Amino acid sequence: MKKSAFWLVSVMLFMSLFLAACSKETANEEPAEGDKPAGEVKEGGTVTFGYTQPFKGVLSYAYYEGEDDVNALQFMHEALIKTGDDLTPQPNLATWELSEDHMKLTFKLKEGVKWHDGEELTVEDMEYAWYLIADPTYEGARFANVAMIKGAQEYHDGAADTIEGIKVIDDYTIEVTVTEPSVNLLDNIWVYPEPKHYYGDISSKELPDSEQIRKNPIGVGPFKVKNIVAGEMIEFERFDDYWQGPAKLDGVVYKIIDGSLAQGLIQNGEVDVIEAPKDQWAAIKELPNVNAVEADAMSYSYIGFDWGHYDTEKGVVVSDNQKFQNKALRHAMAHAIDRQAFIDGFANGLGKPLNTPFPSVSWAKIDDSEINGYEFDVEKAKELLDEAGYKDVDGDGFVEDPEGKPFTVNFDAMAGAETSEARAQFIIQSWQAIGLNAKLNGGSLKDFNLFYDTIEADDPSVETFMGAWGLAADPDPAGIWLSTDKWNMWRWYSEESDELIKKGVTFPEDESMDITEHRQQYYDEWQKLVNEELPIIFFEQRIDPWAINKRVQNVKVTPFGTDDFHLWAVTE
Amino acid sequence: MLQYTIRRLIGMIPIIFLISVVVFSLAKAMPGDALSGKIDPLNSDPAYIEEMREKMGLNDPIHVQYVRWMSGVVKGDFGDSFVHKREVMELVGDRLPNTIILGVSALLITYCLAFLMGRFSGRYAYSMGDYLISGFNYLALAIPSFVAALVAIYIFSINLGWVPATGSIGSGVEPGTIDYFLSKAKHTILPALVLGSLATASYTQFLRNDMIESSRKDYVRTARAKGTKESTIYNKHILRNSIIPIVTLLGFDIASIFGGAIITETIFTYPGIGYLFVESVNARDYSVMMAIAMMLTVLTLVGNLIADLLYGLVDPRIRLS
Repeated sequence: MKKSAFWLVSVMLFMSLFLAACSKETANEEPAEGDKPAGEVKEGGTVTFGYTQPFKGVLSYAYYEGEDDVNALQFMHEALIKTGDDLTPQPNLATWELSEDHMKLTFKLKEGVKWHDGEELTVEDMEYAWYLIADPTYEGARFANVAMIKGAQEYHDGAADTIEGIKVIDDYTIEVTVTEPSVNLLDNIWVYPEPKHYYGDISSKELPDSEQIRKNPIGVGPFKVKNIVAGEMIEFERFDDYWQGPAKLDGVVYKIIDGSLAQGLIQNGEVDVIEAPKDQWAAIKELPNVNAVEADAMSYSYIGFDWGHYDTEKGVVVSDNQKFQNKALRHAMAHAIDRQAFIDGFANGLGKPLNTPFPSVSWAKIDDSEINGYEFDVEKAKELLDEAGYKDVDGDGFVEDPEGKPFTVNFDAMAGAETSEARAQFIIQSWQAIGLNAKLNGGSLKDFNLFYDTIEADDPSVETFMGAWGLAADPDPAGIWLSTDKWNMWRWYSEESDELIKKGVTFPEDESMDITEHRQQYYDEWQKLVNEELPIIFFEQRIDPWAINKRVQNVKVTPFGTDDFHLWAVTE
Repeated sequence: MLQYTIRRLIGMIPIIFLISVVVFSLAKAMPGDALSGKIDPLNSDPAYIEEMREKMGLNDPIHVQYVRWMSGVVKGDFGDSFVHKREVMELVGDRLPNTIILGVSALLITYCLAFLMGRFSGRYAYSMGDYLISGFNYLALAIPSFVAALVAIYIFSINLGWVPATGSIGSGVEPGTIDYFLSKAKHTILPALVLGSLATASYTQFLRNDMIESSRKDYVRTARAKGTKESTIYNKHILRNSIIPIVTLLGFDIASIFGGAIITETIFTYPGIGYLFVESVNARDYSVMMAIAMMLTVLTLVGNLIADLLYGLVDPRIRLS
């Protein structure tokens, strides 16, 4: 026994020496890296773009599904129009013109734009993309983006052989007729051309599994694919005939890494540009070789109240749950939560409280002075509850409802991040602090699938839940907020809200009025409504943290990711 | 022996059938499906999700779904991966080479280390070296592989920069060149080392105990009495006898070679079967998940059979009939 104990001790001593040696080494290394002066921009070089989920390798905009593939696509392909800094459509490969009655959209393509195989881009490639997506055998999720073209639905259903609304005028001009006028047509219509000459006769169903998309995809972007290692890495090289002039870099490597290694790989330069994991941000932004960029994202999180259920037959939500009909109760529950403390504590400050469903980067966001800010105020929350009749009758420390019956609140949240449990407890304790008997529904968090399964099925145990939405550039809230929307997860029925949302996508009667101003007035009204009614507690808008190695220059960070790839350059 | 093999193979059929039922029901019992993750107004809409569920037959009764899946499996068709948009067999085939390279190198490392350590421990039992070795072995057994992987990456990749931390191949190498193989080796060595050196305990102790037992046998005493050199006794007589049971373990390792290492592959972003498996479970990509589970089932059964057959071959006392 004595002997073995001795060995255990010496082994441990040996180990601790070893570990001590390691930590010493890092301490020495860090400042050395920080002293490196920023050199001159040089020609060529390669940048590694990192991501933390494996990519599927469906390298076509018409078919891809996740962020993992679009991260690669962005380097190699572009659209006719792009989203500008003010989140409105801007000309890119093409300019456009809209007819007086808003029914005909004409794209005028730039001449001389080349595909990576040397062929010139023509409007036939755009027409081809619309046909691919409208094809009856198409299995992707983009049909909604061509459905507004006249005749697309008929073609999709197999009732017509061509799409009536598409007219090719010449190689560079194409005219599209839509089914009805729409203010956000340019935001919604599909604008990514596909290489018709290259895909040949492959059917729309078989394309996603074809060599042309998986092994040797082409586009018109600044970089072309050189090598694909499935699920792991894609190497791009400069495309010399790029329409805005050749890129500065020799190439880009899109590399998949494990999220837990992000900090180390950024530190040692194996990854140059990456959207950093939020939980490591405090350490990553302090790294001496990193430019830390924080960009407002187009997304927000919320705590939903359960208002009722979705009537599948009628296709409309029914707000028949009486529990949260009292507005003062909802306001009190909002005032109870210190959202800034939540953001600072759990997300390294990467977020801002918001009070309407539009993040501050959106042009439609109402001025904060015009709406209720729901600042953290426990006393006010208690007062509101008291006035509304929620009083502690039996003296157990928790309030009862106005009829004197026990009142409990179930809370649901998604598991996944390390801090998920603590976040949920924070909210529950905040509500308990104002006297509400809140608890975690079923005693535990739910994984992503179970969470949405339970909420979509209108499980009666669900009462409040924390969710999040990512948003498109156009502010139209339809899709989530209309009472007919299945994704109106909180099942809030309001005719007033529906009307305002629908008015928000109409054209002004007065022709001379600016469309944006016209829409803004309805969106202001709508934001005031949801801010006051508070069908959900608007929680925080997200901030995306980007770690960019100091040797990489000209990386433009937008609410949707990075941009201006042809301008990226590296210093020595 | 042929008769025995055939009988065993026939006996596998009901087992495989039962396991297929279990695998299928467990997959279906998980909440959500491949389309749950599509709740995103940016990229899809509820109508599309409903349409796809109908198209993929997810709304059919469960037994109909099972029969449809099983009738494909019998013909060797595991269906299409919804997430990857391609045939499951192709997808698995893509990942297999990586997994086999990693599995074989890890196994080699395990065998070499276990052989050296076991031989030493067996010969110098209850010595300091023996205790050190068993200390190491139990430590390795106790350390979770993700901890070992992260520590190894931190030391060898991030601080020392000897080997890359992630991936199975470097950028800018042409397949077929020397550089390609070197890059492949460089990327494989660290995960293989982590996998291999953590698994030595059972082999080492197995060999050690067998050697200690053999050294007390009569034939060893006879050899000693004849004045044979101690090293000859150990290296020639004892070791040869003790190595036999180890060889039979190879059968059991077959499934582990093909099955990949879920945690290690994920941390090293090494695209093999284990990584694919986790990915498909997370994405609820049933067809891939079930195909891998079935593949491992069959390989485990075959591996067991091989182990039994090997046993009969190397040890004449065991008769298979």
